[in-house]
Amino acid sequence: MTSRFPGRALRGAVAAAATIALGAGLVGCGDNSGSSKDGGSQGKDTVTVAFRTPNWILPISAPGFTQGENAIFGQALYRSLYQYRLDGTAQYNIDPERSMAEPPQVSDDGRTLTITLKDNSWSDGTPITTRDIQFWYDLVTANKDKWASYRAGGFPDNVDEWSIKDEKTFSITTTEVYNTAWFVDNQLNRITPLPQHAWDKDSATADVSDLASTPEGSKKVFDFLIAASKDPKTYDSNELWQVTSGAWKLEKYVPNGEVTLAAEPNYSGTDKPKLSKVVLRPFTSDDAEFNVLRAGDIDYGYVPAANMSQKSYLESKGYTISPWYGWSITYLQLNYNNPKSGVLFKQPYLRQSLQMLIDQPTISKVIWSDTAAPTCGPVPAKPGTNTDAAGCAYSFDPAKSKELLESHGWKVTPDGQTTCQSPGTGPNQCGEGITAGTPLEFTVTSQTGFAATTKMFAEIKSQMAKLGIQLTIKEVPDSVAVTPTCEPTEASCSWDMSFFGSQGSWYYPAFASGERLFATDAPVNLGSYSNPEADKLIEATQFAGDESALTAYNDFLAKDLPVLWMPNPVYQVSAYRSGLQGVEPQDPMNLMYFQDWSWK
Amino acid sequence: MSTLSEAVGPAEPNDAPPRGLWRQGLTVFCENRLALVGLGLFVLLAGVCFLGPLVYHTDQVHTDLTAVHLAPGEQGHPLGTDGVGYDQLGRLMLGGQTSIIVGLAAGVLATIVGTLLGAIAGFFGGWVDAAVMRVVDAMMSIPSLFLFMLLAAIVTPSAPMLILIIGAFAWLGPARLVRGEALTLRSREYVQAMRGMGGTGGRAVRRHIIPNAIGTVIVNATFQVADAILYVAYLSFLGLGIPPPAANWGGMLSDGLADTYSGHWWLLYPPGIAIILIVLAFNFIGDGLRDAFEVRLRRR
Repeated sequence: MTSRFPGRALRGAVAAAATIALGAGLVGCGDNSGSSKDGGSQGKDTVTVAFRTPNWILPISAPGFTQGENAIFGQALYRSLYQYRLDGTAQYNIDPERSMAEPPQVSDDGRTLTITLKDNSWSDGTPITTRDIQFWYDLVTANKDKWASYRAGGFPDNVDEWSIKDEKTFSITTTEVYNTAWFVDNQLNRITPLPQHAWDKDSATADVSDLASTPEGSKKVFDFLIAASKDPKTYDSNELWQVTSGAWKLEKYVPNGEVTLAAEPNYSGTDKPKLSKVVLRPFTSDDAEFNVLRAGDIDYGYVPAANMSQKSYLESKGYTISPWYGWSITYLQLNYNNPKSGVLFKQPYLRQSLQMLIDQPTISKVIWSDTAAPTCGPVPAKPGTNTDAAGCAYSFDPAKSKELLESHGWKVTPDGQTTCQSPGTGPNQCGEGITAGTPLEFTVTSQTGFAATTKMFAEIKSQMAKLGIQLTIKEVPDSVAVTPTCEPTEASCSWDMSFFGSQGSWYYPAFASGERLFATDAPVNLGSYSNPEADKLIEATQFAGDESALTAYNDFLAKDLPVLWMPNPVYQVSAYRSGLQGVEPQDPMNLMYFQDWSWK
Repeated sequence: MSTLSEAVGPAEPNDAPPRGLWRQGLTVFCENRLALVGLGLFVLLAGVCFLGPLVYHTDQVHTDLTAVHLAPGEQGHPLGTDGVGYDQLGRLMLGGQTSIIVGLAAGVLATIVGTLLGAIAGFFGGWVDAAVMRVVDAMMSIPSLFLFMLLAAIVTPSAPMLILIIGAFAWLGPARLVRGEALTLRSREYVQAMRGMGGTGGRAVRRHIIPNAIGTVIVNATFQVADAILYVAYLSFLGLGIPPPAANWGGMLSDGLADTYSGHWWLLYPPGIAIILIVLAFNFIGDGLRDAFEVRLRRR
């Protein structure tokens, strides 16, 4: 006899029932249930933080490893010479407590800055001296082409003389008279003392010497350190990384997994850690993180935009919810070197037309649940302001966008495919290099794991489709990695647009000039934007003594659109147990100071 | 029992199968109430997905940020709207079209490829069999979902691409099944007689092996379709599905999950239930067909 409820169907039905039950459980616990622990004092000295696994440890940045988590991780282990804060209370924005040196003394001619180190020591007890600063300088000078922070004409090219006075004092004489605020905030911020007494060698078995004092030796040492930094599985065992200057030491590191930082008992800074351990736990997606946060299994996490309605629930469970505003901008990168779409992006009217199809205020309000604000130009708005895009050069205006396209020879086919009808370089023609019939179709390489980002591009795609501009959205885990700076002949140059701003595209140092972003051949100018006028204005920000140059630079690029300005999300909406102190203020420059944290 | 195989034993496929057998098969299928329920479910779901949009018009191309997360019934949206303002009922229909088309096409593709290769391997044996089966073994040793994810991450997913990706790896099961059938069928007298009369191996496969394994093939095909629908759902759930404005039930479920805690139940339940129903429907149909094709049952 044949069963009337065969095994396979039975299994299917059981699975179905289980799925429905699970779904019911999930939805059912929408407002009232859950298993969160109460906030408040935890009676412990450890904190668990939602945090992407860092993948770079050497405190010299390398191309492809400049993500925010690497900077936070790096600062926990290796302090920069200067730390900054943007509250407007300190000279040159230098944080006097955290910095390892006194603010620089500027010579009368404005070219020489003399810096005196405070008393600090490495975790092994060796004093931190100018020898360690010199070691850093030797490494970046001899290997500047491999240093992500380098750009031609910038540091160290703009250093005329580097002079060590004694163990505590050194001076830098610049090639020109720079705006001191710019030089201190955007050039000196790169200096990080490195433990010369432990790292000045070219192999793990070699003895430490003065190898890096020559350019050839410096290259060998640099290659050795870079290779070690590219081997994350040895981070917690390699003796190189045992000597640190930061408040924390690396106790455990699992590649792509959990990282444990332990308080460094020999830390010489004044901001001693109050906790004994910080556990950094990565999550594959917003949903995964939020589920764990909601279950009360982490002490510090974030609330995804889609779950902002859960704010009161989390607060009732003892979490404090606080948006982390960044000193940042967010944009959609255009690839000017793409052999196909590059010629299109080089047309200012086309960039303007595309920009006018991005409804930043509505996207910020509806999709980002008010946790984002429009970006209008390269200089960030004061955190928490600019909610209505009032100052933007190109506000959302599909009709004007259409008019702009049609007035430049495009045959606009709503919900079809808009194509170039009048090729040529005349005022009413498509522009140089654009042939008849060229379609307006682009691929956006975006990020996986951010629900709001996915919805945002669904909206932008929809708006563009209304004018016959076809957008294909491709989500990848790391959009920066697959959309590199490229030459038109390279295979890697096939990308059109890249988005990596789900938590803000770019976090500025204290002085928000654009020499690393929008200057020709700048290190993070992924799309190879180039405009001599922009270069001139960017350069002017480095010399002017007041804000006018920065304003001029901002106004020009806001209109020229080197990229498409996008809603700038907060870095995250942080959720931390109410018993956790010291989290606020959250640094707009996207650093975290775990040493300030403690339990009530 | 001994007379059973003789009486209904594989007839020369040139002869049309006796109409009585088909009728008996249909009768057996119809006796299986779950199979009828499955068939009804499939017809209902397919009808809603493909014919529904003809009577229920919605804009599934353009977003509407002024109408996001409307609850069912609000502003004329029976099942509410999603996070970018798409009508959820219309989206279910659109998503169902993709899920059913990709599922059916990938299932059929996998069945055709698997049947051909399995029949050839089983009939010819020797190095052909060894080569095909080693490929099958090797590919089966890698989790198929991992392969799908890898491929979907490399290429930009589209409906034809998903059909190819799923079809390219889902043929392994049918190939093994049909090979087993072919190993049995190739030693049957009528196959031997045909070969003795000068018939080629190709003809044997085409006219004898595949037609006589058709029951196994069709039953398996239904399961392949169900599996393919699930694979589409898996991939979309993992963010590797077809990008918007296209939709499929797995992607909708994934999107709905982000709203789990927001109380927007209409984004989670409908696509989840639709996936469960369509997969159950194909499983029920498959079981009914297995009964119908089973010789022993046809003769009872």
